[in-house]
Amino acid sequence: MSVSSVDKRVREHGIRLFREKFGKIVKNILENKPPVLLIPKRTLSNTIYDEKNKMLLLGPEYLRRSFFDMNEAKKFMQTMLMASIIYDALVNNEYPTIRDIYYRGKHTIRVKKKGMRMEEENTWDKQSESDSVIRDIEVYLGILREELLILSKEKGKVVGNMRIRSGDDVIDLSRMGHGAYSIEPTPDLIEFLDVDAEFVLVVEKDAVFQQLHRYGFWKKYKAILITSAGQPDRATRRFVRRLNDELGLPVYILADSDPYGWYIYSVFKIGSITLSYESERLATPAARFIGVNMTDVFGTSILNINKLKKKLPPDIVEAISKLPPKKPYLSERERRNYIIKAKPKDVERAIELCGYDVADACLGNVRDEKIRKAIRGKEGIPGYPWFRKPEWIRELCIFFHTLAKLEIEAIASKGLRFLADKYIPQKIETGDWIT
Amino acid sequence: MATTSEAARFRHISPAEFFAKYKEIAGFGNPSRAMYQTVRELVENALDATDSHGILPNIKIIISRPASSTSSNHYTITVEDNGIGIPPQHVPNAFGKVLFSSKYVQRQTRGMFGLGVKAAIIYAQKTTGEPVEVVTSTIGSKRIYYFKIKIDLAKNEPIIVERGSWRKSREWHGTIASLTIEGDWGRSARRLIIEYIKRTAVVTPYANIVFVTPDKQVYFFKRTINKLPPPPKEVKPHPRGIDLTFIKDLIKSTKKDTVKDMLVKNLQGVGDKIAEDALRLAGIDPNKSPHKLSDDEIKRLVAVLRGIDPDYLYRLQGSVGEKTVAEAISENIVGIKYEQAIAAAKEAGIDPQRLYAELSEEEIDSLAKALKRFYPRYKAPSSESLSPLGEEIIIEGLKRIYHPEFVAATTRRPSAYQGHPFIVEVGIAYGGKIPSRNRPQLLRYANKIPLLRESSDDISWKVVMGLSSRRAAAEIDKDKAMREFWSQYGVEFPAPLVVLTHICSTKIPFTGVGKESIADVPEIERELRLGLMDVARKLKRYLTQKKLEAEKKRRVIVLAKYIPEVTRSLTIIAKDIFGNGIEEKLRNKLIELAAHRIGIEQEEVKEIVDSVETGV
Repeated sequence: MSVSSVDKRVREHGIRLFREKFGKIVKNILENKPPVLLIPKRTLSNTIYDEKNKMLLLGPEYLRRSFFDMNEAKKFMQTMLMASIIYDALVNNEYPTIRDIYYRGKHTIRVKKKGMRMEEENTWDKQSESDSVIRDIEVYLGILREELLILSKEKGKVVGNMRIRSGDDVIDLSRMGHGAYSIEPTPDLIEFLDVDAEFVLVVEKDAVFQQLHRYGFWKKYKAILITSAGQPDRATRRFVRRLNDELGLPVYILADSDPYGWYIYSVFKIGSITLSYESERLATPAARFIGVNMTDVFGTSILNINKLKKKLPPDIVEAISKLPPKKPYLSERERRNYIIKAKPKDVERAIELCGYDVADACLGNVRDEKIRKAIRGKEGIPGYPWFRKPEWIRELCIFFHTLAKLEIEAIASKGLRFLADKYIPQKIETGDWIT
Repeated sequence: MATTSEAARFRHISPAEFFAKYKEIAGFGNPSRAMYQTVRELVENALDATDSHGILPNIKIIISRPASSTSSNHYTITVEDNGIGIPPQHVPNAFGKVLFSSKYVQRQTRGMFGLGVKAAIIYAQKTTGEPVEVVTSTIGSKRIYYFKIKIDLAKNEPIIVERGSWRKSREWHGTIASLTIEGDWGRSARRLIIEYIKRTAVVTPYANIVFVTPDKQVYFFKRTINKLPPPPKEVKPHPRGIDLTFIKDLIKSTKKDTVKDMLVKNLQGVGDKIAEDALRLAGIDPNKSPHKLSDDEIKRLVAVLRGIDPDYLYRLQGSVGEKTVAEAISENIVGIKYEQAIAAAKEAGIDPQRLYAELSEEEIDSLAKALKRFYPRYKAPSSESLSPLGEEIIIEGLKRIYHPEFVAATTRRPSAYQGHPFIVEVGIAYGGKIPSRNRPQLLRYANKIPLLRESSDDISWKVVMGLSSRRAAAEIDKDKAMREFWSQYGVEFPAPLVVLTHICSTKIPFTGVGKESIADVPEIERELRLGLMDVARKLKRYLTQKKLEAEKKRRVIVLAKYIPEVTRSLTIIAKDIFGNGIEEKLRNKLIELAAHRIGIEQEEVKEIVDSVETGV
């Protein structure tokens, strides 16, 4: 088997890390010290929003996982088991996926003592359990699983005028035909060779990515075109981050105009709440949301500033009123054709993003009982700080006011030409995006 | 049954009169109750004839439908014991003449009414017309005697219908008594009788008890201990516990020539000095013939002997009108002169010229204390007359019937109320085969007799249910109080809990005529409470220990079962650093550390670790 030099290096680093950290545990046991792991806490309460660097980070709290603590014993065993599986794979030049690992570690522990009821349990039952232990290993070692050569399904794709080295091969991302390069699960092992691009456009939807690719968008506008195909995986996020970090390219995110699309943007920009420990390496704080905006659909005249004053803090209302007004890209007739009614789940998610007070201030008369119930259930939710900006509040406000959402495909079906040659370039040119 | 006593110790009343008066009270109100009561009378006599005389009882109870009878509701109840037997010359009177047991001597016996089995015999005679059949032989007698006896109700004389005797062919002694009555073996009678026998079996683990029902079902309670409770001794009555009837009876039967001698001979702890003092106070010449005492003198004598009773002093407040303290006391308390009343009042810190009716409770208590100085002092009543079961027997008995996982018992030291000695015993059984219930299952006993009817005004019931007699019962949530009380001892309901209370005394203070519940006597309540707390604390210790043990076991298993996996996993990484021998070392070290942590032997952890299989 020919292994790339890059992989070899990473492997050796991983093996060293395991020997160092777990060798210490063994040493402690031999010295009569109880087996204990100190792991940074991965809980919401230990997740902090770093205002300065604009991303979610793990807080200072540590979790003491002692083997002799009744409630932690199983978790401790699982962590040891997981460490042995990953270590074994590293040593044996393997590339397990998280699913492989789940199966490798899953077995039954049986206590069969005479005069005692037989006890039986599995090391773990669902993959979510073993995934969670992988995350524990990541924070314990301070390393991402990709760097331990644990793979996951490739999801993200990229095309553009650039050449990279992956493994020992050089790949030209401008020569992918109608296809695209799948972003490998270990993007840190990619080396950027040469790039001729002005910006990065990340498209949420694979279908829209393909349309723009075939249209020649990236050639025409000197773009690196990427799709996350829905919720971005870690590799895509790390890849985007590196483009932004190392090449200084601005990153634009094009997503649906609905709470789900906004959340995808948020994951690129800030990180995900459940995996805040990797934000430092995965988040792209400078990512820009280029659309689709609610204001692109409805314009800004639909907002009644006076109404907002009743329920929102005056400084926010003041800031919103100072934002430049916008005209809609869609006509009244197009809106009627493309708009989709928001569902209760959408409303709930929107409130989680920007806070209950915005919903309360902007909602009109809601007739739908299910939506009313969804709203009541979220009373008092404060919203995430990075969505409490006037630009976002204006977007969300229009959403609550109209209870409408819109997919990017709607803009594309108005005409690919419109999307590629007018909507995107014009928005970039006029700075019509939100950070 | 006072079968061995002298004839002089009995006195007669008309049986017809007696039965008319006591039929309901004695428990013969309906066929179902009559059946139960008949079983009780016979069983209690059988036990008294055995365990009180140092004999390990073998009791056989058979209820059957007589073959000869035409009526379907006639039942024959036969109880056989291996007791001391009855001398043949006493048999007719013992079964055929209604007598009251003598009270000249006191000792704790089971019979509660003093009527004994005779009520059942009269009931049988009235309902089925059948005589009582008795087969008996005393220890050492060479013959067995056989009688059929009826009672001449008008004359209160036994009628011997049949009699006979034969030579003993084997060494047997005891009594077989058989009665045919109009009865009932319906659900409630069946339940009551079986429960009675079961509860009797609880306190007689030293007895073999066989019970055959009319349906030919057999219950057998096998003897599990060969130890008998010490038989009660006969003691003279304590002067504080006597009454008018007692003195009058005494006068009738005494052979002494002087009152003084009569008192000294027949009362507990009364010597020449105390007798003289008492008689002087009562204003009676010690050398007077007992037969010449006037009614008034007898009354005064009883009052002095019983001593100063604070209750009487309270009651007096309602009847003395406008009298001053000095007047009220000197006019109503026998033997206290006006000057003595003044002195006592002053000693109690009370102005003797105040109105007696206006005294507070505390003042009356102090006054009673001061007055006692003028009265004879007695020793506390002797408890030799009492026969407690003893802790061992209670524990054994609860085990035999309930098969609990934990059992404890306590016998309190003797105490006394109003001149009557008593001993409280409390047993507790928990878990095992006891079914869980929403409150403690309470087994009450008085003088070894089960009290079956659950009664919420019984003092044991109150104590065991965690109710204080001081609190107004209506004001509190009883169930909550009960749960809170037991919760202190680690018992959360529903729980498998049985509590046994036994009060033995020469006089059980029953409430009312039903004789099923015991009155709120503060001295008894105190002893019950202390006894219950004692056994409940033992239970708590047991439960805490059990919980700890369970927790420990749990911990051992939880930790031990993961040791092989942790060892194997760590070895995969560590063998490259520490070499191949590391697996064994790690395993032993983890076993050692775990054992140390939990506080058990390494061997115990190792055993579980060795029993772990990790499959794929």
